[in-house]
This record gives sequence, C-alpha cells and structure tokens, in this order.
Amino acid sequence: MAIIELKNINKYYDAAGDEKLHVLKDINLEVQKGEYLAILGPSGSGKSTLMNIIGCMDHMSDGYYCLDGELIHEAKEKDLVRIRNEKIGFIFQKYHLIPTYNVLQNIVMPLLMRGMTLNEARERSVDTIDMLGLGQRITHKPNELSGGQQQRVAIARALVGEPAILLADEPTGALDRNSGLEVLKLFKRLNDMGNTIVMITHDADVATHAQRTVKIVDGEIFEL
Amino acid sequence: MKTSELLRLVFINITQNKFKTIMTSIGIIVGAATIVMVIAIGKGGQADVAEQFKNLNAGAIDISYEGEGTDSSSGSSSSESGGMPSGGGMPSGGSSSNGSSSSSSGGGGGMPSGGGPSGGGDSGGMQMFDFGSMFGSSSSMEDRINQEKVTLTEDDVDDITTFVGGISDATITFTTKSDIEGGELDEAASYTIAGVKSNYITISNLEMTVGDFITDSDDENKEKVCILGASVAKEIFGSAIDAYGSVIYIDSRLYVVNGVLEEMGSVASGISPDEAIFIPYDTGIKYLVGDDVNPTVTVIAEDVDNVDAVIEDVTNLLTESYPNTEFTYSDAGSKMEAASASNDILTMLLMAMAAIVFIVGGIGIMNVLFVSVKERTNEIGILKAIGGSQRSIMFEFLLEAAAISLIGGTLGLLVSLVVAPVAETLGASVLLTPSAFVIAMIFAVGTGTIFGIYPAYKASALVPVEALSAE
Ligand SMILES: Nc1ncnc2c1ncn2[C@@H]1O[C@H](COP(=O)(O)OP(=O)(O)OP(=O)(O)O)[C@@H](O)[C@H]1O
Ligand SMILES: [Mg+2]
Repeated sequence: MAIIELKNINKYYDAAGDEKLHVLKDINLEVQKGEYLAILGPSGSGKSTLMNIIGCMDHMSDGYYCLDGELIHEAKEKDLVRIRNEKIGFIFQKYHLIPTYNVLQNIVMPLLMRGMTLNEARERSVDTIDMLGLGQRITHKPNELSGGQQQRVAIARALVGEPAILLADEPTGALDRNSGLEVLKLFKRLNDMGNTIVMITHDADVATHAQRTVKIVDGEIFEL
Repeated sequence: MKTSELLRLVFINITQNKFKTIMTSIGIIVGAATIVMVIAIGKGGQADVAEQFKNLNAGAIDISYEGEGTDSSSGSSSSESGGMPSGGGMPSGGSSSNGSSSSSSGGGGGMPSGGGPSGGGDSGGMQMFDFGSMFGSSSSMEDRINQEKVTLTEDDVDDITTFVGGISDATITFTTKSDIEGGELDEAASYTIAGVKSNYITISNLEMTVGDFITDSDDENKEKVCILGASVAKEIFGSAIDAYGSVIYIDSRLYVVNGVLEEMGSVASGISPDEAIFIPYDTGIKYLVGDDVNPTVTVIAEDVDNVDAVIEDVTNLLTESYPNTEFTYSDAGSKMEAASASNDILTMLLMAMAAIVFIVGGIGIMNVLFVSVKERTNEIGILKAIGGSQRSIMFEFLLEAAAISLIGGTLGLLVSLVVAPVAETLGASVLLTPSAFVIAMIFAVGTGTIFGIYPAYKASALVPVEALSAE
C-alpha cells in the first residue's frame, strides 16, 4: 500500500530576471508502507526541496500528492497543521531543537500540540526515551549534549507522535562517522519495527543502509 | 495546546531568558514609571490649586469699595495696599484694577490712616504722594461726585440677603493691622486683625482646634474676645492649648482668647487665617477702626453658575444705596478658574511629555521585542514543523509579551513609588493616584503586547521551511 504518492510534482523558484528556477521537474514517486527509502543526489539537486514538500513544510508549484489518504496538494493550512503533527516525523540535519527547553520538553512538544498535558505526554514518551537511551539526560538543555545526542533527541521528538512516516534530511550530515552509524542503525531498527522512513543523503554509502534508493539529479528523479 | 501547558512554556521562556526579559522590561519599566509620575505631578498641581482655595467658597463674591477716586481708567500699580500704612488711603491713586484681589483681603480700605481723608485735603495729599498725582490727578478731578465717604455696612448685608435671590449666605469683614502684646511676646508686634461675623467660619471653611468661634452675642455686646490663627497662637503662646483662655492686648485693650483655629496653610486670596487674629466685627468698629473702616462684603451664591447674575443683582441694589459709586467685585470662582486653567496648561504639557514617552518608550519596546522575536523565528519554524498552528504559536508569544509587560509594568510602578518621594523632596507636588497606576499598567501591557505580537504574527505566517531557514 502506497503511503506516499507523488505525481508530476513541479517546484519553481523566482530567480533574477524573467527566468524561473525549475528545481523539481515532474517528480513521480511512490513510497510503500513499511518501506525504507533513500533519496540520493548531489548538492543542489533538489533533495531538500522535495523533502520539504513531502513533509508539508513547503508548497509545491503544481502536482498531485497523496499522503496516507490525505490530498496534500489541495489541503488547507488548518489540515496541514494537523497532518504535520500527526502523520509526519521530521528529522533535520541541524537537529532544530528549541534551546530554552530541556530534552524532555523538546521531545514532548508534538504531544503538547495535540492538547496533552505534560504528564500524559511524559508517560507516552517514556518508551521512546528509553529506546533512544536518553533517560539520563531528560533535564539537560540541548547545548549540554553532543551532536549525536541532540540528533537522538530530535529523532525521539519525531517518533513520539507515532507518525505515518519518518522524514530525515541528511540526518548524519552534521555527525561524525560513529554517531552517524549509530543513527543509521537506529533507523534500521525503527524500520524493522514497522516505521516507514524516507531519508535524504548525498552519500552513496549512507544510502546503502536503506531498502531502496532513488536518485535525484538536477531536479529529476530516477529509480535505480 | 492546553492553556496550562502554554503557561508553563511561557514561564520557562521568561525564566530561562532572564537577561532578555530584563532588557525587554527596561523600556516598559521606564515608560510605566514616567506615566505614573507625569500623572502624579499633574494631580499634585491640581491638589495644590485646590489646597490654595480650600478656604474659598466657589460661589463667594467679595464686594469692596476701592477708594474715593474710583475710576476704571486709573491703571496705577501703586496700590500694594496691604502692608502700607497709608497706601489705601491715597485719595486718587489708590484704585487700580489689579489691586482688586489684594484689597478685598482688607488691606486697602481697612487702614485707619489719616492719609486719605476725603475732604478737602486732596491736592495737598497728592503732593505728598508723587505717583498718585502722576497717575490719577486728572481723573480724580472729574470724579468729585465720588468723594463722599463710602462705607459698606451691615445694613447693606441685610439688604442683599433680603432682596437678592440665589444666595446662601453673606457676611461683612474688615482687616487692619494692630500692635499686639501679651503671651510670650517680649515687645509689641504687629498682626493682622480681622473683624468678622459669626458666620465667617462657615463661609471660609475654617475649623476650630480648640474653643468656639465668635458668636452673634459676642458681636452684639461688642465683647473683647478674639480667635487666633494657628500660627499666631504658636507665636504668641507656644501652642493652641496654652493660648486658649489666655489674654492678649490689641491696641492696648485686653481681649480674651476664646479659641484657636485649625492650621489652614497658605491660601490664594482673602485673609490668611493662620496669620490673623479674629475679633467680633462690631467690637472692631468700636475699638479699632471706627469710621475709617472699609469693609468687604462677601456674598455666597448658591449656585456657582449663578455668580454673574448675583453680581448684577447686587450691583443694582448697591447702586440704589450708593449712586455713582463703583464697587469692586471679585469672585472666587473666576480666580479658581484662572488658577486651575494655568494648572491645566501644566497638565497638558506634562501629558504632551507623557505622549512623547509613550511613543519613545513604545518604539524602544517594539525594537527589543522585534529583535527577540526575530531571533526566535527559527523556533517558530520548529514549532510549525512539528504541527503547531499559527494561532497557538501566536498565543504563546502573546502571553509571553503580556507577561513580560506585566512584570515591567509592575516594576515601573514600584520605581515610581520610590521616585515620587524623591521628587517631592525636590519640591514637586506629587499625588499618586490609583488611576495613574491603572493607566500606566494599561500602557505597559498594551504596548508590550502589541509590539510583541506583531513580529510573532509575521514569523508564524511563514511556511515552516521559510521560518526554519531564517538565520
Ligand atoms: N528559497 C529558495 N529560493 C530560491 N532558490 C532556492 C530556494 N531554496 C532552494 N533553492 C534552489 O533550489 C535548488 C535545490 O535546492 P535544495 O536545497 O533542494 O538542494 P539540495 O539537494 O538539498 O542540496 P544540499 O545537498 O546542498 O542540501 C538549489 O539550486 C537552490 O539554490
Ligand atoms: Mg539539502
């Protein structure tokens, strides 16, 4: 069953002069439930642009996008807010944790957004926190953690809402080799547990950890 | 998001960013404190005016006769009549428009001076007083008809109360200066003596510290009794209690002190009660001033708005008794108006200052909040990425800005509580009022919230990826 279905997605940016920058060109892509997909491509090829559209973080210029039964290309902002909160777990290259909040507060934010109390959210997130080995760190601030630890916090935050898909944009890009491998091992485990994962990378080695890889070159997508 | 959780986050943000909170608050603190002070100084000025007029009835009208040479064209400034033993008696120069208020306090007319006999000593008198002749000679020549001695009397008061409608009370007073002996005084000292009726105490809103004011029977029997002003009692006897029941000598005659007045402070016009010795009117006529008295009649209009009509009626009535004589009318209401008008100008200036503070303070607050929210555009992007709605994000920033403003406003009020006494010792009259606190608080929370919410609105309206990529 396809959880992500992209048809003829285009994305243009306004550029200097009359020319528009055509960043994504007629992208067609399907991701099945439980799949672990890597999107591989060189810098500037449009990987992040595609990922942001998949994650409902940016508008597409035109095309058809169905995510877990929701028609994203015609959804209203109100629905997008809910979809971002319930269906998508987004992991960024630069972690993007909120510096004033401690580990626990960062992790439970998506649950608080759903209207849970801190106590309910804490209970819901205990397993995730344990799985990621963050139990000792929940009162730490992000700046008191290593990059690998921060990325694990970000992953915990993405997982805690039990989303339909996990999206990771260069999740190992800011990490050293060992921390990066740990994250990749974790993704493998999460995928084995049934999570659908889409991961972006420019590194072919990293891509080998996924079940399937597609390539994006200059805004066009190719199955390998 | 649950409001309780939102408040928790707001609390975390405020306490985790103490330095930023304080920096943001400073503009609000200064703004709020300034507003409180500006209003307090304005109110202080108003209170000052009210204080100066507290012995004046708003409906009071003083009627006096300025002197024989009454002529409106005489612009002489010579009648600083109060303290000059002979000034008031000057035959022609003594009337002046600007002298009206001071002579209604009894200075001019009350002089038992021999200097201004109305009879034939005209030219001689004028030669004695240079400036009188310079300003007044020609007009005084034309005004022979007024040279008859004019003295307002108790009968005039009775006429007025009988025939003029719309008045609640009327009284007659005179003042003079006389040498006083007695008590702790080493040698005779000159004091203002006021001859008054029993109703003077209510008309002038005075209170007794001890004893009773002059009574009608004191007046009828021309008793030699007196009531001392608070300062006088202190100077002559040391205290009100010591003064009560003692005796003083006024012009070498013995008077019993029947009471002492409550301290009134300085007053804008009329007899300064703290500095005066009050005696029954008729007693004064008999023993002190005799026929030379030039009294002031005070009429109280029931309705302050009616003062002009009352003045007109009184004028008509007095014209019947004293044809071709012009009396000077001075009504408390217009004096109060003038004083409060100048205070209003001060208040308006202060308000203009406050408006500038509002604007400058507002811009300062706006800048700080703008910068701090801009810094947090990334955070807003994160909140959006994990499914925060624009509404809940804005609500969080709104609460945060409001809380910071509330803290700043409260601190500002505390600052003003510290600054107010300091300003007072520096001589400003400051009156802190609850309304000033309320206005300052509304300003603080209002500006802080509006300027805090606007950048948050801008940031939260972005698509998540734009907010996230803002550096
Ligand atoms: N907001 C924007 N406005 C204009 N052009 C943009 C914008 N964002 C991205 N682009 C352009 O779109 C193209 C694709 O960018 P994108 O960020 O998707 O590349 P990427 O594959 O993620 O590269 P990298 O591996 O360096 O992250 C680039 O040429 C980039 O300059
Ligand atoms: Mg990228």
